[in-house]
Amino acid sequence: MSPAVARPSERSAREQILDAAVERIATDGIDGVRIARIAMDARVSTSLVHYHFESREALLAEALEHSFELAGDVRIGEGEGEARSHTERLAAMVDQCLPYPGDLERDWLLWVELWLRAARRPELRKTAARLYERMHEWFAGAIVAGVADGELADCDVDALTDRVLAMLDGFGIRTLVRDPAVPLEWAREEVWRALASELGLDPKPPLR
Amino acid sequence: MVRPQTAHVRRPEILAAATEVIRERGINATRIADVADRVGASAPSILYYFESKEELLREALIFAEERFYDELEGDLTRIPSARDRLVWLVESCLAAGDYDAVLWIELWPHALRSEEVAETREALDARWRGAIASIIREGQRRGEFVGGDPEELTLLVSSLLDGLMIQVAMQDPEVTPPRAREMSLSVLERELGCALTGVGVT
Repeated sequence: MSPAVARPSERSAREQILDAAVERIATDGIDGVRIARIAMDARVSTSLVHYHFESREALLAEALEHSFELAGDVRIGEGEGEARSHTERLAAMVDQCLPYPGDLERDWLLWVELWLRAARRPELRKTAARLYERMHEWFAGAIVAGVADGELADCDVDALTDRVLAMLDGFGIRTLVRDPAVPLEWAREEVWRALASELGLDPKPPLR
Repeated sequence: MVRPQTAHVRRPEILAAATEVIRERGINATRIADVADRVGASAPSILYYFESKEELLREALIFAEERFYDELEGDLTRIPSARDRLVWLVESCLAAGDYDAVLWIELWPHALRSEEVAETREALDARWRGAIASIIREGQRRGEFVGGDPEELTLLVSSLLDGLMIQVAMQDPEVTPPRAREMSLSVLERELGCALTGVGVT
């Protein structure tokens, strides 16, 4: 086989492994997941998984990047494209960050695994910092654009963004574990209220 | 069956050792043998006290949280004003290298996969919210804080603190303990209509 043929097939094996890893880690957790199981789901050999990912940390980091890259395409593409105003765009972004059933809930399960691993061990802290930085830029960028157009009130954008990200994590995790005090709609309204009070918007979020 | 020698090892010691091991390795990677090694006992003697690994782990998490609350409540009774108590509470859960933050985070993924852990998490969270709510109520009663539904405010505060605590635990370069403290106090300040950011309780 020539290298020109080997390369794309190698990349697709890697992607198959990552697809399988995302699903398995979400179900079993990073500590509980078995590499052999991921290999089986991806229809590759265990040694190929080890070849591509030298450790569990590396696999989790890449699975997270992979999952958020896929999500990112959806997020930054269609979902927001339909927004008619900065306010609507922000509301859509808040929704994209909460554990709605389906893909978002699965992303959340990986997100929690990231907390767990990065809190305990240093290997994943850079990945965590990078993902949070990306989230920060995404939100802060949307706010700055709305302020520039005069739709949103001026404020300390970085402080507001960090507060909103913390609230999304704090409310989102309670929603995810089905805390009866924090249904999804409650989480959505509370996060929106924090944004609205600083940005001079209606404290009630726009309809989904 | 021979009863294992247990006289030399006590329940609290086992639980303290188990919390250490869980913090280092995580629940899934923790083995009874690791905990036994740490207290210089045999695995059967651990299982004499705790029926299963699952039970040991759950008890260890409860033990760690109880220890945190006992300490916190002890501190709080020595602080007269609700305002200073709230500042103390915020500081106590956002400290750098917090021992218990990792265990708290550990509860979440396991609550998703085990009904018993989910119940434990809910009970512990209820206690945490209770601690926050009682300070808010006390402050409102004394006129230190303005009104607002204490339950709703508590949910807001506990969620914000958890979110910040996660990033502090991951040593995020942007969300440092002093910045997390400042951010939570400024939210509380506005919600409760009471100056908090300039207050230092040490």
